[in-house]
Amino acid sequence: MSVEYNQSKEWVFAEAIRSMYQAPLYHLILEGLLLVWIFRLLFFKSYKIQNKIPLSKKEKDDLVKDWTPEPLVPDLQKTLSLSTPYKEITGRPGKMITVDGKECLNLASMNFLGLLGNERIAEKSSASIRKYGVGACGPRAFYGTVDVHVELEERLAEYMKSERAISYAYGFATIASAIPAYSKRGDIIFVDEAVCFAIQKGLHASRSNIVYFRHNDLDDLEEKLKIQANLDKKDPKKASVTRKFMVVEGIYMNTGEICDLPRLVDLKYKYKVRLFVEESLSFGVLGQHGRGVTEHYNIPIDKVDLVVGSMEYALASIGGFCCGRGYVIDHQRLSGHGYVFSASLPPLLARAAVEGLDILQDEPEIFNKIRAKGKLMQELMQEVPELKISGFYESPSFHIRRKPTANQSEDEKYLKVLVDQCYQNGVCLSIASRLSHEEHIADWPASIRVSVSVEMSDDEIKMAAHVIQQAAHYAEQQI
Amino acid sequence: MHTGTTNQVANPNTVVWNSPGIWITYSILTAFMHLVLLSMPWFTTSVAWTLTNVVHGVGMYFFLHTIKGTPFETSDQGKYRYSTHWEQMDSGTQFTAARKFFMTTPIVLYILASFYSKYEFTHFVINTSILLLSLLPKLPQLHGVRLFGINKY
Repeated sequence: MSVEYNQSKEWVFAEAIRSMYQAPLYHLILEGLLLVWIFRLLFFKSYKIQNKIPLSKKEKDDLVKDWTPEPLVPDLQKTLSLSTPYKEITGRPGKMITVDGKECLNLASMNFLGLLGNERIAEKSSASIRKYGVGACGPRAFYGTVDVHVELEERLAEYMKSERAISYAYGFATIASAIPAYSKRGDIIFVDEAVCFAIQKGLHASRSNIVYFRHNDLDDLEEKLKIQANLDKKDPKKASVTRKFMVVEGIYMNTGEICDLPRLVDLKYKYKVRLFVEESLSFGVLGQHGRGVTEHYNIPIDKVDLVVGSMEYALASIGGFCCGRGYVIDHQRLSGHGYVFSASLPPLLARAAVEGLDILQDEPEIFNKIRAKGKLMQELMQEVPELKISGFYESPSFHIRRKPTANQSEDEKYLKVLVDQCYQNGVCLSIASRLSHEEHIADWPASIRVSVSVEMSDDEIKMAAHVIQQAAHYAEQQI
Repeated sequence: MHTGTTNQVANPNTVVWNSPGIWITYSILTAFMHLVLLSMPWFTTSVAWTLTNVVHGVGMYFFLHTIKGTPFETSDQGKYRYSTHWEQMDSGTQFTAARKFFMTTPIVLYILASFYSKYEFTHFVINTSILLLSLLPKLPQLHGVRLFGINKY
């Protein structure tokens, strides 16, 4: 009944039309349905797939009834942790600082190596203003790179004995840009719960899964790593594409404690987790040559995947840096948002940082001195019965808290009275201020961060300790 | 993606198929591929058309439904790391203009291939299976679905 199809290589149009009439019915029906589908397709409206469960009318009404509006302007007490106005500083701060007209011993600035107000640095910076002007006026990739930036990065890499370094224009932005450059959605970051605000912002920006472990409790960290390892065993394909990181600080800004780096490196290799160490307070303080917590523990710096430091404390300049292996650092040149999208460090500050590194290399005994002074100050503070010290025993930056603690607001009042009394007697202290409603741990106990400078003589330290001791006693009586 | 002074989206993959002239470019490239196949003297017309349909369908399945993520870094912290290009198109909105275009092209090719292969049975089997391979992954019910855990991560 069917006509033989022409099997020759010539394709004839008339035959094609004929075969259309003799086509099998199912085929033609299928084609008809497809044409109907195309026609319907033209009239479909586009929509986004909703993953939420739709609420019933009663549930919606209940939610509307329960809702209470927040005030347009929030309560002022919540937004400011210190309700007193700022104090004004005049003149050049250094070992002494002039606050509201009164000259005091400066225990508030984290000027560990005494480079704040250093004449040699000031001279070289002024020379660079004459050479380069004041600002670099552009991001690093868009005509903002000056030769001092390259020199600074080379010097930092050489100093820290790592392959390469990258410098940022703002210390806070350094770690807040470094973390999201490597860790993305779906990745896991194990982080100490007491990390500083900059790290918390970096964690939030990374959109990764954050696992907090108790402050400096590496047993807790190991437990959490074990839990993750068990989950990985159940789903190895997911585990092979999930990056895992650990973020710790060398000397924690919120407590002054030191991290247990040898054990962290062991955990790193045991559970295959990348290690980031934030060395803002330990750079220029720990280690025989001031290279930070890796030198302190005699661990080769290549064992830590990324060391992030700040030039705003020991080096008394502005900005931050990251150092590590070449391929790790090079990634940040395009992915570090604070590097790509911010103007570069003004050349005078980069020059100041380079000069600071020169000074550190000229005076290698300065690091033992600052640790000795930190230890001395802490020992003297421990003799004060009303105060509790928290910090690594050699750290020049540590926290003092009220020992007979009551509630948070009373402790804050006590510390304010203490600070005022010290100010009256010529010692400048400052309360460690926090944005409690934005931090990970909102109810962190109030404390004063004491920072010792290497320029202070032992007598000055003893005098300051005596003043604080008397003020602590006085404040306890006032409360 | 921050590329000079262009309009910026975090992931260009979501908007590439809305660019001006890209549909016509796609059609011209498919037609060119067909002409290349048609010009091979050892392929009959039927084979050339079916082969066009197959190459187009397999290529579409590979590029739109197999490979995931982006070849460049995006500033949305890896939101589409595990999404195929089809799922990324228009950020997951269903039945947008570009998606309708891509649902139509396999059907048009199928109808042409069926006609030019004179509705023979072998060609029917091949063309219909390629059509299913091209159309089924595009349905909104299969958005984000990974069968048997294949291609999930």
